[in-house]
Amino acid sequence: MIQVNAMGDACPIPVVKTKNAIRDLGGSGTVETLVDNEIAVQNLTKMANQKGYGVASEQLGEGCFKVTMTVGEGAALPAEGEPTFCAPIPAHEKRVVVAISSDRMGEGSEELGRTLLKGFIYALGQQETLPGTILFYNGGAAMSCEGSPALEDLKSLRARGVEILTCGTCLNYYGLTDKLAVGEVTNMYVIAETLTGADLVVKP
Amino acid sequence: MLKKTLSLIITFDATAQAMAAEKLLLARGLPGRLIPVPREITAGCGLAWKAPPEARAELEQALDNGGVIRGDSHILEV
Repeated sequence: MIQVNAMGDACPIPVVKTKNAIRDLGGSGTVETLVDNEIAVQNLTKMANQKGYGVASEQLGEGCFKVTMTVGEGAALPAEGEPTFCAPIPAHEKRVVVAISSDRMGEGSEELGRTLLKGFIYALGQQETLPGTILFYNGGAAMSCEGSPALEDLKSLRARGVEILTCGTCLNYYGLTDKLAVGEVTNMYVIAETLTGADLVVKP
Repeated sequence: MLKKTLSLIITFDATAQAMAAEKLLLARGLPGRLIPVPREITAGCGLAWKAPPEARAELEQALDNGGVIRGDSHILEV
C-alpha cells in the first residue's frame, strides 16, 4: 500500500501524484490519496473509473478526504508522461460529447464516408468551442488507432484538452488493443455515464 | 488556441477528383492532406488539398500529369 499526500495541491497535481504512485506499485495493490477538496476526489474517481481501478472515497474531516484505489491483477498502469485532464466543467458551459461509432460518416458510399469522417474530425479542431469528449466505439474504434487517417487531428484535439476515449471491448474485438495511439481506453460504464451526462451528443 | 499557418489550398470542382488527387498525391509521397474547403473559399466541391505553399509547383504538376482535374490554388492562413 502506498500513501499519497496531496493536501493543498491544486488540480491536476493530486491525479498526477496518484498515477505516479500506481506506477510505483508496479502491479496490483492499493494507493490511498489524501486531498483537501471535492474536485480532486471527483477527478481521482474519474481517473480510476477510466483505468478500471477499484475506487472508494470518504471524508475524514473538514477539508480532508481519502480516496482509495485498488489496482487489480493485470490492470494497465498509467503510462509515463501521459497527459492528465481534470479541468472542472464550468456550470454554464454545455457538455458536448461527440460519439463516433463507425469509420465513416453517413450512409452511402463507404469510400466517401471515410473521407467525410476524416474531414469532420479535422473541422472539429477548427471550431471555436471544442467538444469536451470524443467517444469511439464499434467501427469507430479504429479511428484512434495506429494507421488511422485522423490520428494527427485527434492528437492535436487531445493536446488542446479534449478527452478522447475508446471502447476497450471494441479494441479487443477488432484486435486493436495494442494499436491505440491517442487517448485512453474506456469501458461501457464510462461510455454510458458520458453519454447520459452530456448536454449534447453529436453523432456524425 | 488554434495555430494557423500559411498554406496552399488547391480546390477541385468534383468530389471524385479531390479523392483521386488524395490517392495520387499520397501514393507519390507528396506533402499535404485533404481537408474540407476552408470557409474563406467558396468555390469547388467541398474538399481541398492543403499543403505547404512551397510545394505548389510540384503538386500542381503531379495532379496535371496524373490526369486529375483541379480547380484554383489559393494561399491563405489555415
